[in-house]
Amino acid sequence: MSGATPPTQSQSPSVNSPPQSQEQAPNGNDLDHLVLQYLRAKGHTTAEKALLNEIDNGSFDGTVSAEELVKTLAVFTQKPSHPGENALKESNTVLSELSGMGNPPALQTLISNISSIGAEEILTEDPSDKPEGFRELVAWVEGSLDMYRPEFRPILFPIFCHFYLDLIQAGRKDAALQFFGTFAPQLEAAHSATLYHLSTLLLPAHVQNDELAQRFRDEKYFIRISRSGFGLLLGWLTEGIGGEAMGAGHGFYGEKGKRGRVTVMQVVNNHLRFDVTSSSSASVPPNTWEESTGLTSSLIPHASGTQSKIYNPQAFNLSKGDLKLGPAPISEELRAETERVAREKAMLDGVPPTQYDISLARPQMLPGMIAPTEADMPSLPPNFKFMDVEREVGAIRDARKRIRLEPSALNALDPASPQASAIRARALPSICAYTLHDVPEGAPCCTFSQDTSLMAAGFAESYIRLWSLKGEKLRGLRSDFSATAIRDATSLRKIKEKKGSSTRKLIGHSGPVYSVDFDPLGGSAAPPKYLLSASADGTSRLWSMDTMTDIVAFRGHENPVWDVKWSPLGVYFATASRDRTARLWSTDRTTCLRIYAGHLGDVDCVRFHPNSLYLATGSSDWTARLWDVQRGSCVRVFLGHQGSVSTLAISPDGRYLASAGEDLAINLWDIGSGKRLKKMTGHTASIYSLAFSAESSLLLSGGADWTVRCWDVKSAGGVSSKRDTSTSGNTNNPSIRKFGEEGSIESTTDMISMFPTKRTPIINVQFTPRNLCLVGGIYQSSEAR
Amino acid sequence: MASKPAKARTQAQHTGVFKADSIKDVAEMLSINISDVVATALASDVEYRVHQVVEEAAKFMRHGRRTTIITSDIEQALRVLNIEPLYGHTPHNPPTFRRAGLAYASNNAAAGGAGSGGSVYFIEDEEIDFDRVLREEKIVMPKGVSWTAHWLAVEGVQPLIPENPPAVPRDVDAKIAEVKTNGLVAAPTVPMMNGIGAKPPPQQQAQAQTQGQAPPLVKQVLSRELQLYYTRLTSSLLPPTADFAKRSAALASLRSDGGLQALLPYLIRWVGEGVVGALKEGGQTETDGKVLEVLMEVVGSILDNKTLFVEPYVCVFFTIDYYLLSRATVAPPTPPTSPVNSPTRLPPPSHSIQLRTISSQTLSGLLTKHSTTYPSLSPRIMKTLLLALISPGKSKGTREGAIRGLIGVGKEAVRKGLVESGGARIVGSEDIAEDEPLSSAVMGALRVLQMKDSLNADESDIEVSRRLRDVLGDYFASKVEGDRMWAKAILGEYMDDT
Repeated sequence: MSGATPPTQSQSPSVNSPPQSQEQAPNGNDLDHLVLQYLRAKGHTTAEKALLNEIDNGSFDGTVSAEELVKTLAVFTQKPSHPGENALKESNTVLSELSGMGNPPALQTLISNISSIGAEEILTEDPSDKPEGFRELVAWVEGSLDMYRPEFRPILFPIFCHFYLDLIQAGRKDAALQFFGTFAPQLEAAHSATLYHLSTLLLPAHVQNDELAQRFRDEKYFIRISRSGFGLLLGWLTEGIGGEAMGAGHGFYGEKGKRGRVTVMQVVNNHLRFDVTSSSSASVPPNTWEESTGLTSSLIPHASGTQSKIYNPQAFNLSKGDLKLGPAPISEELRAETERVAREKAMLDGVPPTQYDISLARPQMLPGMIAPTEADMPSLPPNFKFMDVEREVGAIRDARKRIRLEPSALNALDPASPQASAIRARALPSICAYTLHDVPEGAPCCTFSQDTSLMAAGFAESYIRLWSLKGEKLRGLRSDFSATAIRDATSLRKIKEKKGSSTRKLIGHSGPVYSVDFDPLGGSAAPPKYLLSASADGTSRLWSMDTMTDIVAFRGHENPVWDVKWSPLGVYFATASRDRTARLWSTDRTTCLRIYAGHLGDVDCVRFHPNSLYLATGSSDWTARLWDVQRGSCVRVFLGHQGSVSTLAISPDGRYLASAGEDLAINLWDIGSGKRLKKMTGHTASIYSLAFSAESSLLLSGGADWTVRCWDVKSAGGVSSKRDTSTSGNTNNPSIRKFGEEGSIESTTDMISMFPTKRTPIINVQFTPRNLCLVGGIYQSSEAR
Repeated sequence: MASKPAKARTQAQHTGVFKADSIKDVAEMLSINISDVVATALASDVEYRVHQVVEEAAKFMRHGRRTTIITSDIEQALRVLNIEPLYGHTPHNPPTFRRAGLAYASNNAAAGGAGSGGSVYFIEDEEIDFDRVLREEKIVMPKGVSWTAHWLAVEGVQPLIPENPPAVPRDVDAKIAEVKTNGLVAAPTVPMMNGIGAKPPPQQQAQAQTQGQAPPLVKQVLSRELQLYYTRLTSSLLPPTADFAKRSAALASLRSDGGLQALLPYLIRWVGEGVVGALKEGGQTETDGKVLEVLMEVVGSILDNKTLFVEPYVCVFFTIDYYLLSRATVAPPTPPTSPVNSPTRLPPPSHSIQLRTISSQTLSGLLTKHSTTYPSLSPRIMKTLLLALISPGKSKGTREGAIRGLIGVGKEAVRKGLVESGGARIVGSEDIAEDEPLSSAVMGALRVLQMKDSLNADESDIEVSRRLRDVLGDYFASKVEGDRMWAKAILGEYMDDT
């Protein structure tokens, strides 16, 4: 291993790094032979063949060879029969192998030192080598040059976890606790959730049963590192030189130091996997080193057919090919009928028919997007109804009257210029806040119908409440009527209840209601006919807005259902549950049609793509995925959150996915490529809801920090160079949690504005079809709890 | 949520939250003896299990959109983990933990114990007296869930309304409330109300130190022409000169010119400050009276101008009016027998009466024009005026103003104030001279009632005069008694009742 790394003699790694990479190249061919020899000696015939193939194909070019070598070695030195054990335990064989390979003298001296002590003893007996080794590693990372520090820091965390687990596994609880107490605080900023979970593991039995611990044990921790950085790391592991903190003394010259170094190397060998990028460390922004790293292999589904593990989400996303993200097709008959009605409308209104053109309401095809054909669409009722035409015409009308929000205009804005306020007014939305008062135990969800005639909220006390926002009476149908008497609409109207109020309680669930959703079929032209709800009792229910009663209970999830969403075309809907699956249902069947399984944690939220071909899910395993609705297969995976994903939104143009996580960040993803476009931070507590404006140019978010924030989707974002303390706002909110090393969250520059509320966590943000924004929240009186 | 326990744990790390002792305590309760090793291992395990439940409960908390774990979260977590829930805990009734007293601690120490110094807590079991509960405790139904809507942002600007967080400057309603409570108004701060950072033009900045806004804003809000116009206008009106033509020209311009909307807040502020300034100066002089007269004319002109949108400021106009009505004469304490003995100190009665009459007319104009858009306006005005009329300790001037105001509001208001609420009786019971303006005001008000003429004259005179005395008091009754028809008109409704 690490044969290619020349011994670095200097204390300053930056000076040496460029020549290193230069030197590595000519060594390539010799190395290949060495590796082949080694593999042959060990009897790894398959690996040997693979390597030979790669060499023959020429894809194995010299510059990558050094890293490839290390990777290959790291994989194969591990005994397949005992995945948890260290290959170095069989010290004699390994040592002889290594020394037979003509390693650089430095490594050989190290090896000989080890052998004199007895590798066996080092690795098993003394628990103090782990804290010692970690201390040295921390000192080395913190002492490294500024340009390397961001890429070295991520290495600390997996090694910490493994040391802790090793100590617990060995039954040394006290040593483990001490180790945790010493080093956890400095890692807490970025990994508090995982650390907290680890700290609860105290007995070997826990480690064996705990899922996260087992993932650490069985999977490789994926780390991205630059080539020169990797060289330095190897240099340190073998030589113990370079980059100690000032006054750290002589590093690993003592006996203890050597042992510590070996334990670190052991973890590096067995449990880490390095992705050595070709970009130099200076060109990469510091915070991207941790992006999509970690225990990724199990988060990414296996590529079809093969069992090989994929570590890089990009590789998986690429393997899935292009997606059809264009707008859903509209049937010819419906289009013709809509155009006819729209023309009539235009005549009545006395405006030119071009203002009532159907293309206004249809989302534009963006270049490079593939539009689905009708054959791609999930099956829907063959004939369109009057309501469909109404909806489409309503959409045209909305598109005409829409408030256009152009946040991009703010970029070049000079705040002193006289037009500033006008431009701001055009760029920013009007927000109407609906506040619920006197909610005793909390309302987990709230939603508005598209025509803004109804508001529904689900409550912790297992009921749903409907309000008519127009002050109309909500009247259901009486139950005492004879079915034979119903012939037409007028007789149906007769059996409406006589009395009614503008609010209505829907009772049926037997657990907190976590999500409600109005059916989208009426659009903005007609009030919704149905409401879906999901609850902790494991059912989702369909409520009729005509009878004001529960029509169907959909059972299937044995666990709490966290979220439910209608497909944009109606008929179908999806649920997300604690049982780690998302499911697709249609309203006419009580069993589910598809199960989307693959997440390693609860599925917390679901959203349909606007063309209803894809389904996005966010999970407690810190990832979001995109599924092909009909095939049931995962087509994209989005890695990058440092906490569970709490909510999602997909832009109306079908291009972007926004996800908000418990790491208080909002990530914006390009669905087509699966790449993260940017990370938006600024919220100081959990984010509960996201919404895109109709032009997909503005993103709105609301959360537990009592604020609503507007984000510019198109701008580049990033943390501003100057500290802006004025935006931190709401510092008296007790639920704000500290995040990041600086102790407070910096807002990225793409946050356009922030609107604080009075003690009202925002549980729902929504845009109406005309780009007015509605937000819902629950007022928390200050004395409550 | 997760970070908090993690931080707490880093301190507690070395000991663990659950001590082996407590495991032993529990074991003893079940009369099992366990060794230290077992107890330690069990303690670790208990801790792990508890954390499992807490992690699960945290999920329910997050999905419940809360930031605090409540007991029902734990209950749900236990349920999904297939553990029997702990019943009997509700978030409404959190259990109160009591620290075990000294007795226990010393016991523990004597037992040699476990002496880790950890205190023992227990849940207090409250004794409930059934009789008392049944007799006394009233169970209040919680208020149902309700919603309110407000604008969190209008085109990206957060409006300054009470529903939005940063403390809001007093708005119109608050001002009226203030008038009601103490009958005193501070200088009207109208420009603050329009919320766009308007600021009085330069010559008034000195008076407006309270507003901490940047002066350059003004230049953008008001064009140069308007600023010039404002300066000319105010200088031609005040101080009142003999140049009558100039003044009337200014008033005429104000009455009929369009495009003055932007100036409106400034003008109103100017008027308001002028009124307050004139009334505040201790001795009221001839010029003060004139100033007030001019200002009232300005108000009248503004209201007459068809192009101005004054509705947002109606309440302010009312405030100014009321101020004038109630304070126009701060009458010095003069002996009742010689009301005109000190002409040097009293403002000419003509002025105060005239002022009150003008403002009462303005008031009635305001009401007829705007009571449709402000349905609550006239009741509110009525209430304020009645308060001034009836409540004890008000000066005569205030009373007179209130009566004139009532005349302005209308006949019904006069009836209500003077007759039904006994205003006339109160005024009459005070010392009043025949030719005092207050008296004439009352008579004037009563004369308003005379217009009513649906009368049947078959009631006995004695009855009428008795009732008249009842409602008006002796003083005014004696004045009215002579005219029978009038008296009946005043009594109108009372008679109908009997």
